[in-house]
Amino acid sequence: MSQSSSSASAYLLVPILLISALTATAVIRGPNLVSVPGLGSAINVAAPLILATYALMVLAVAGRGTVDLAIGPLMAFINVVVVRLATEGWLTSPIATFIVALGLGMMYQFLFALVVIYVRVQPIIVALSGFLALTGINLVILPRPGGIAPPFMADWGAGTSIFSPVLLILAVATAGWYIFTATSFYSNLRMMGYDERAAWTSGVKTDTVRIGAHLIAGIYAGLGAICYTALISSGDPSRGQGVTLTAVTALVLGGVALSGGRGGAASALLGAVSIWLIGYVLATFNFGAIQAFMTQMVYGLILVLSLLLTLLVPLISRYVSFVSPGGAFVVLGIIVTGIMIQVATHGTYTEVGQIAATGDLSEKYFLNAPAQVNLVGPSLSWTQGAALLAGLAILSLVFVARMMDAEAHARRLGLFMYVFILGMVAALFVAVLLESGNLPVGRMP
Amino acid sequence: MSDENPRTPRLSLLPVPGSLAVIWLNLGLSLVIAAIGLGVGFGQDLLPAQQVILFTLLLAVISFLALNYIAVAFEERIAANRAKSDDEHAQDSSRARGLWRENSVLIIAMVALLVLYLLITAGVPSFRSINNLIGFLVLELIFLFAFKVSGYFAAGRSAFIGLIVLFALVIISAFSIEGFLSGANIRAILLFAAFLGIACVGQTLVALMGGLDLSIPYVVGSSNIALLFLITLGVPSYVAFGFVLILGGLVGLLNGVMSYRLQGQALIVTLGSGFAVAGFTQIMTSIGSEYAGNVFGTVPGWLGNLAAMNGKFFGLPVPPTIIIWIVIAIVMITGLRTTAWGRNLYALGGNRRSASLIGVSEFKYWVGCYVLSGIFAALTGSLLLGWSGGAFIGVGDPYLFTTLAAVVIGGTSLLGGKGGYGFTVIGVLVLQVLTSFLLGIGLRYEWQQFIFGLLILPMVALYGRSPHIRATV
Repeated sequence: MSQSSSSASAYLLVPILLISALTATAVIRGPNLVSVPGLGSAINVAAPLILATYALMVLAVAGRGTVDLAIGPLMAFINVVVVRLATEGWLTSPIATFIVALGLGMMYQFLFALVVIYVRVQPIIVALSGFLALTGINLVILPRPGGIAPPFMADWGAGTSIFSPVLLILAVATAGWYIFTATSFYSNLRMMGYDERAAWTSGVKTDTVRIGAHLIAGIYAGLGAICYTALISSGDPSRGQGVTLTAVTALVLGGVALSGGRGGAASALLGAVSIWLIGYVLATFNFGAIQAFMTQMVYGLILVLSLLLTLLVPLISRYVSFVSPGGAFVVLGIIVTGIMIQVATHGTYTEVGQIAATGDLSEKYFLNAPAQVNLVGPSLSWTQGAALLAGLAILSLVFVARMMDAEAHARRLGLFMYVFILGMVAALFVAVLLESGNLPVGRMP
Repeated sequence: MSDENPRTPRLSLLPVPGSLAVIWLNLGLSLVIAAIGLGVGFGQDLLPAQQVILFTLLLAVISFLALNYIAVAFEERIAANRAKSDDEHAQDSSRARGLWRENSVLIIAMVALLVLYLLITAGVPSFRSINNLIGFLVLELIFLFAFKVSGYFAAGRSAFIGLIVLFALVIISAFSIEGFLSGANIRAILLFAAFLGIACVGQTLVALMGGLDLSIPYVVGSSNIALLFLITLGVPSYVAFGFVLILGGLVGLLNGVMSYRLQGQALIVTLGSGFAVAGFTQIMTSIGSEYAGNVFGTVPGWLGNLAAMNGKFFGLPVPPTIIIWIVIAIVMITGLRTTAWGRNLYALGGNRRSASLIGVSEFKYWVGCYVLSGIFAALTGSLLLGWSGGAFIGVGDPYLFTTLAAVVIGGTSLLGGKGGYGFTVIGVLVLQVLTSFLLGIGLRYEWQQFIFGLLILPMVALYGRSPHIRATV
């Protein structure tokens, strides 16, 4: 693996390691995650956070230390406006809702960009101003949580299937970013974020690029607000502040540089999913009355630690330059997918009950029996078992050999890798569907 | 440009300006005037709707004609001007342009205020009173005065503008709110200003270094509950008070050390550490307690007297917190101006490289500022405990952005090296008087927040603008 190509995305290593460890823990501690309702609701809950992180990511890439602290209140603002309009009966069709949501997001971000460019105030002050103004106006529009979401998104938030419209929105948003990275506008954006003066002197129209970045962020904010509205299927004016902090944490955790120029949808996605998983794992422990404080403390610590870690990344990548993020992702992904398949197929778990908060301190806070894994697998004959083992061994041998070869020559794994990953993911889906009994064929008695 | 065909005067019954753009402009202007007229007409509820509409139409037509007339008159004059020699012409136009350039902000501001006043008058019936008219006129005068005189205060322009705004706010409030200048109200304003001002000490110092400290609200809240928790554990209250201050300093130390290598991201580092501190304190104080997150206990009398509204300072009916704030302010202002420490701080904020070349340790000053910030945040939290008499983690929440807003409104640059605590004092007073004013005219909390948000931008835009990129290349 060559030095240069590893250091470019070495910042992805930390979130990849983190996310695999977290997924494994989450799956083992809360096996309900790997089922159709579990995954469906996980996607629903994580989607607004992921989209908010995308919005922040675009702005962070644009440089000048732009962290739009107002992203949470902005999403809450779009949420309350949509809900208010829907409650009055003026907003029923999906197209109109999308136009309103995306339009509001883009309008706000457009104003933001204009102020940053022409009034030339630091972005952080504009963000602060927007935070206060939006938080105030949200409460004016909808004084207390309530109202109803537009009728067409009534069943979006149910989380009864994986392939819900929310997943579609997420997929489109992510794919949109990757299509965007192919344009020259993107390279201008990165250049501007990395060094605005250099970009300006080399003829990049920095004003236009900045406005463009803000408009993209506005689109993501609008989409995030729609997912948020679908999730809570009502309006909530005051939950924006929390979203801001979580999204900023996710951004930093994913390795996006707040100083500009470095970041992408992969980083943002990994960061946001990690944050969501941290919350999920924390929720599987029984902290009793201090649950909320524990979550708060852990979020804060992780935010600080991950920032400090980004200082260490250049050091790490110097010594472990033989591990590329892609390779690490594949290997860890396979391990984690294996754990998920294992958990999903052995469907005889006892539900972990809440342990009464009495007794010793250690018992009170940390004792919570882990999921009981049923070690009795499907009945196989000796030959079948041996054949299965041999097949798996050959497969993994081939994989490891290909992997080492590829890493040694700094080549891509090529088609093999994609086929392998696709196979694993397909196996996971089959397992999940089998487990939930959604697949009519091959249902085990 | 010479004009071979000077037009004959066309001051006929239906004047038509030469340029089409002017006609459109006139049309737009007359429609705006008519719209204002329509609003005022309906707002007064005196005439039937048909008459209002009729008068509006008449107004639109008449103003359109009048504007066209004026435009034609000006065109005549321009045509006459063209006959003048080039020399004269250049001199004339540069003078006119200079006049506009020097006063454009003033004119725009005054017109904006006028429009705002007219709109409010048209929209809100209860706003129409002689007091408000006087207040409005005074405000316009203050504008005129501020812009004409502020040129002579090049160094402290932001402080000057801040003082003017403060003055204007006090005058308007005194006119429009009954009892605004009463002793109790002034004491209340000063007391809350003192809390905010003490919390802002650290933010100002950190901003002078070019950093930010968002952990202040969480340290305020944490020290608030930690102090009461320690007191209920049986620790002597003075010891507990000192201990909490030390803890605040420790948090600041951690903040400073952690954010030193990440100065661009100091905002996020301190936000994260603040969150962790708040969570940790709540866990510590609620382990073994039935009511998680709440601490119950009695506040010692001396602390209550220190900060309560009816506190006495050696017999004077002034809460000692105000005196503490004044002392801190004097020490800070003179300290920053005269001591070596203060001068070095400005040097570092202005230019890191040259400051380190003359032997100023950046690390020491950076960490020192954060430690002070933590200590003063803890002091605010402890005093707030005395004021409220009960511990509550959320007591610091309003300080998340108001400390920043006060520093920024006062005129301390967030980029470092410019400003000082005196500016922050003005910013704090402006914020508090504005809050009191908004409360006095019966605005709800969410509207206040909205107005604060919108207010920060123009205040910063007045003096905190960064240079255009072409100036930095």
